[in-house]
Amino acid sequence: MAEVHIVGQIVGASGFPDHSLFCKWGINTGGAWKALAGLREGQTQVDTPQQHDAAYWAHPIDIHYATKGLQGWPKIHFQVWHQDSFGRNELYGYGFCHVPTTPGMHEIECPTWRPSGSFKEQVSQYFLGGGPQLKNPDLIYSGADRYRLHTIAMGSVHVRLGVILRNFDKYGIEC
Amino acid sequence: KMSQSSVFLLMVGGQIESAEFPDFDDIYCKYCFTFGPDWLVTSGLDEGLTQVTKKSRDDRQQFVWNFPLDITFKTTNPFGWPQLIVHAYGIDAFGTDVVRGYGVTHVPITPGRHKIRIPMFVPESSSQLQKLTAWILGRRPEYVDVRVLAQGEGREVTRVRSQGFLTVSFNVVMKDMKKLGYDVIPSEMSTSVIPESVGPNSGGTTET
Repeated sequence: MAEVHIVGQIVGASGFPDHSLFCKWGINTGGAWKALAGLREGQTQVDTPQQHDAAYWAHPIDIHYATKGLQGWPKIHFQVWHQDSFGRNELYGYGFCHVPTTPGMHEIECPTWRPSGSFKEQVSQYFLGGGPQLKNPDLIYSGADRYRLHTIAMGSVHVRLGVILRNFDKYGIEC
Repeated sequence: KMSQSSVFLLMVGGQIESAEFPDFDDIYCKYCFTFGPDWLVTSGLDEGLTQVTKKSRDDRQQFVWNFPLDITFKTTNPFGWPQLIVHAYGIDAFGTDVVRGYGVTHVPITPGRHKIRIPMFVPESSSQLQKLTAWILGRRPEYVDVRVLAQGEGREVTRVRSQGFLTVSFNVVMKDMKKLGYDVIPSEMSTSVIPESVGPNSGGTTET
């Protein structure tokens, strides 16, 4: 069986309207993959940066997968949320990216988007916050029913991932 | 056929180079390495304390420690890959030691030289009153056990404030990882050399 180790961290996020942010993340794989060790999902701390225009979480990721096939290569998805001074949470963006398929260290900037509502909803969102959210979070990393969505771009999530592969060359995989 | 050893070694050299903390002065760092249950330290120190330094009186406003890190690990499994946790302490207006930042990063998984700039954050007080008492008494919120920073769980209830950066450099060497079937660099790159950029403008993360 081939094995994959993902060792890294969700460094932070930038480019959002406000930077008091936290992130819910998860890793999704196909049926041939089995997680041997490590957490496959989590939620970062809430960071309110002092000076800079970016939130920093330094949230560690350490996962060990064993796999019988290449289909369903791991994808990491994010939900960036904003927490204001009253403790209310507002969705700021959804994003995903594939875990890199080459061994080594990778710096990834994952763009995010959020659903934009009708004009009335956008005005209400400007004054009151809140806004539409996805009912089914699987849509973050699947293309199935995306054509029904209207979205708007938000900031990006910065991830530093190290990928260690084992026995892939034994099975003739070039990566 | 004799059974082969399933152990590989990770040797890490490097330094806690410098930091930027715009609002503070007189800072020292405590560091420790944390790792999973399959890992063992075979040589070197897994924790230590740097000197106290003042920031430079120029535009850079930098703290420099140039503090050596030297440690070798032995393991059977990459899971639980070592992380470096650094906590920076400063002296406040009343003369007590207060936490100025916590930072954590994984030891890089590829051999070679790496320079990483890690954000430093402090836990936030949960209310204005606690903030005021903390400032007066010099007892800021701290982590009871810093090793929680190396874990992914339990962070969702914490609020922090990032207020600085620390630069760490690592030189990483592995032994026998390839023998056990692990690949940390793409196959066609194993014989090429990538030049590293040096000079006044090379900040941020670089790798070779």
